[in-house]
Amino acid sequence: MSEVEVRDLTVEYQTSVGWLPAVAGASLDLRAGQITGLVGESGSGKSTLALSLLNAVPAPGRIAGGTIEVAGVGDLTRLGGKQLRKARGGAIGYVFQASQNSLNPLKTIGRQLLDLGRSHEVGDLRALIARAKDLANRMGLDGDRVLDSYQHELSGGMRQRVGIVFALVLNAKVLILDEPTTALDMLSQASVLDIVRKVHDENQLSTLIITHDIGAISEIADRLAVMYGGRIVEDGPLLDVLRRPTHPYTKALIGATARITGDVDGARALPGRPPDLTTVARAGCVFRDRCPFAVEVCAQTEPELETFESGRRRACHVEPSTVLTGPVLTGTTGTPAAVGEPA
Amino acid sequence: MIQARGITRTYQTHGSFTGDRTVRALRGVDFTLPDGGAVSFIGESGCGKTTLGKILTGLETFDGGELVVDGVELSKLRPRQREKYFRRIQMIHQDPYSALNPTRTVEATLGDPLRMRAREKAAAGEQAGSWRERAAELLTLVGLEPTAVLPKYPHQLSGGQRQRVVIARALTVDPTVLIADEAVSMIDVSMRLGILSLLRDLRARLGISLVFITHDVATARYVGDGGELHVIYRGEVVERGLTDEVILSPVHPYTQCLLSAVPVMRGLEEPGPDRTAPTAALDERTPTPGCLFQPRCPFAGAQCAEKHPVLVPFGLDAAGQGEAAAAEDGSGHVHACFYPESRRVVGVEVGAASA
Ligand SMILES: Nc1ncnc2c1ncn2[C@@H]1O[C@H](COP(=O)(O)OP(=O)(O)OP(=O)(O)O)[C@@H](O)[C@H]1O
Ligand SMILES: Nc1ncnc2c1ncn2[C@@H]1O[C@H](COP(=O)(O)OP(=O)(O)O)[C@@H](O)[C@H]1O
Ligand code: SF4
Ligand code: SF4
Ligand SMILES: [Mg+2]
Ligand SMILES: [Mg+2]
Repeated sequence: MSEVEVRDLTVEYQTSVGWLPAVAGASLDLRAGQITGLVGESGSGKSTLALSLLNAVPAPGRIAGGTIEVAGVGDLTRLGGKQLRKARGGAIGYVFQASQNSLNPLKTIGRQLLDLGRSHEVGDLRALIARAKDLANRMGLDGDRVLDSYQHELSGGMRQRVGIVFALVLNAKVLILDEPTTALDMLSQASVLDIVRKVHDENQLSTLIITHDIGAISEIADRLAVMYGGRIVEDGPLLDVLRRPTHPYTKALIGATARITGDVDGARALPGRPPDLTTVARAGCVFRDRCPFAVEVCAQTEPELETFESGRRRACHVEPSTVLTGPVLTGTTGTPAAVGEPA
Repeated sequence: MIQARGITRTYQTHGSFTGDRTVRALRGVDFTLPDGGAVSFIGESGCGKTTLGKILTGLETFDGGELVVDGVELSKLRPRQREKYFRRIQMIHQDPYSALNPTRTVEATLGDPLRMRAREKAAAGEQAGSWRERAAELLTLVGLEPTAVLPKYPHQLSGGQRQRVVIARALTVDPTVLIADEAVSMIDVSMRLGILSLLRDLRARLGISLVFITHDVATARYVGDGGELHVIYRGEVVERGLTDEVILSPVHPYTQCLLSAVPVMRGLEEPGPDRTAPTAALDERTPTPGCLFQPRCPFAGAQCAEKHPVLVPFGLDAAGQGEAAAAEDGSGHVHACFYPESRRVVGVEVGAASA
C-alpha cells in the first residue's frame, strides 16, 4: 500500500532557451510505514521532485505533466487554494533543505508555531502547543525552552529537530526531509537520523529522506531510489540495492563514498560532472557520457524504468548481471590529471 | 616542519542574551607536522578546529604556547618578519563558493598572485617563467584542463572544480604547508575522493605537508600514508595516534563516540561490536573541573568528575605504571582518560570480521 503515488511526473523550469524539465517522467511510491531514501548528485532534481509533492514548485517552475495521488487527499496536482494549503502541513510535513536557516529570526519558535496553527485554522491552539512540546521532548529537546527561543539561540542540530516538530505538529502522515543532515557534524547527524527513525516508527509515517550521501541514509532507510538527470534510474529495498546495484550510476555512487574501514584504494570519485537541465542529454540515456558500460543503443534510445525482479526497478539497456560483475568504478585514484573532471 | 606546543586561545564574548562569557577555544594543543607529513584533526562542531587552522595561517592570534616553524619561534618575531613564515602556510576553506570572487575569471584569480610571485622571484634573482605558463602548470597539476577553465567564472564550474581552482590559487605562492579546513564537506560526495586524492598527490609529488581538519573521520584516511590523527574535544587533544590505529582501536570514550556516529553502510558493513554514544548533548555551561567529557561519557568512573586527565601513552596508567605502546618522545598512541580501553566501534565490511 502506498501513501503517495507519483506517476510520470514532469516538472519544468523556464530558462533563456525555453521550458526545460528538471524532473522528467518520474514515477515513485512512498509506501506506508517505510522510509524511502532518495539519492543523487547535486542538480539531479531531488528537491524539485520533493517540492512538487507539496505542489509547491518555486517560480519559474511548473508541473507540466503526471499525477501525485496522496492517500485521503487525491491528486495533488489538481488541488489549489484552500484545499492545497490544508494538504501542506496537514497531510504532508516538509523539512526544507537548509531548514537550519528557514526559521524566522525575529520571532520565537512558539510564536511561529501559533502562526502555523492560525494559518491552518486550528481551533485548539493550546493543544497544538502541547503537542509541539511533546514532540520536542521526545526528540531530546527541552520543549519549554525551545518554544521560548529564537533561531540564533539553537544549534544546527536543534534547528533541524525544530523543523521536524513543525512538519509533524499538524499530524501529517507523510514526512519529507530535504538534506536534513548535510551541514551537521557526525554526532548531530547521527542523533537527527536516530530521531527521524524514532518519530517515523512512533507515528507510523511514510517518510522520504533526500540526500547526496548514500552513507548517511543507509542506516535508517528501508527503500532506496536513485535519481540522475531528472530521472529515477533505480529503486528497490535498500539492503538489496546496496548489495547488488544494477544501474551503473548507483554502483558508481556507492563506490565513491569514503569508507571508514577497508581498502582506501577501493573507493573512486566519479569522473565528470552531473548535468543540469540545460546540458542533460535530449536523446538516449542521460548517464551515457559518464558510463563505463555504455553501448551503441544508449546514444539513441532512452532506457525505460522497468521492474526486472520483484520489488526492483532500473532504467538501463545493459543486463543487470553485466553491471553487477563489471568494473566496480569508473574513476581512477592515480594522478590528479587522471581524476580531473573534464571542464 | 611545524611544532606547536601548548597553544591556547581564549575568547571573551558579550552576548545580549547570554551575558559575558569566556570561551576557551584551545586549551593547550601540541602537535608536530614533519615536512611532507600529514596531521588530521577531528572533532564535533565548535571544538576549536578552525581556530587552530587560523592560528597556523596567521589569521588569528594565540595567547599562550609556542609555534615553531622551521626551527624559528614565531611569537619572538616582529609581525613583518612573521609574515614570511605564514606565507608558506596556505589555507583552503570549507566553502569553494564563497572563496572565489564571482566576478573574476579563473585567469584573473590566478594571474594576480602569480605576477606578484614572479616579481618577488625576479627581485631575489631567481628564475621566474611567464605567469601564464605557471597558471597552466598549476591547473594541470590540480587536474583541470587549462584552456577550458582559464576563461571561466566560478558559477560556470562544478563544486569540485571550484575547489580545485581554490587549491591552485593556494599553490601560486609555493607553499610548503596546506591547511585544509573541511575542504570537502561542502562538495558532493561523488567529488570528494577526487579532491582528497589530489591533496594526497600534492604531498607525494611536491612534498607539501598537510593539516587536514574535518568532522567526517572517514575522509581523514584518504589523505595519504603515515598521517597522525588528533581527536580534539573542547579545545583539548584527547587522543592521538596513527590514523588507522585510532580508527580501528580507539581508547578514549570521546573518540569512540565520534567513530560510532559514522553511518554503517548496511548490506556492505556491519556495526562494530562495541558501538556507543554520548549520554548527553554538549552543554558548555556545565562546569567540568574534572574530565571535560565527563558529563557525556558512557564510561565515566569515580575519579572523572574531580581530576583532569592529561595525555599519556596508551598502556601506562595515570601513575605512569605499565607497558607503554608509545615512545618516550610522545609519538605513538596517546590518550587523556583515566579508564582507557580499546573498543571496536566502526563498521566492518561484511565477511571481513569472520575471515
Ligand atoms: N528556480 C529555478 N530556475 C531554474 N532552474 C532551476 C530552478 N531550481 C532548480 N533548477 C534546476 O533544476 C535542476 C534540479 O534542481 P534541484 O534543486 O531539484 O536539484 P537537487 O538534486 O535538489 O540539487 P541540490 O542537491 O543542489 O539541491 C538543476 O539543473 C537546477 O539547476
Ligand atoms: N571570533 C570569535 N569570537 C568568539 N568566540 C569564538 C570566535 N571564534 C571561535 N569562537 C568560539 O571558539 C570555539 C571554537 O570555534 P571553532 O574553532 O570555530 O570550532 P570548529 O571549527 O571546530 O567548528 C567555539 O565555541 C566558538 O564559538
Ligand atoms: S543505458 Fe547505457 S549509458 Fe545508460 S546507464 Fe545503462 S549502460 Fe550506461
Ligand atoms: S576520564 Fe573518565 S569521563 Fe573522561 S573520558 Fe575517561 S572515563 Fe570518560
Ligand atoms: Mg536539493
Ligand atoms: Mg569550523
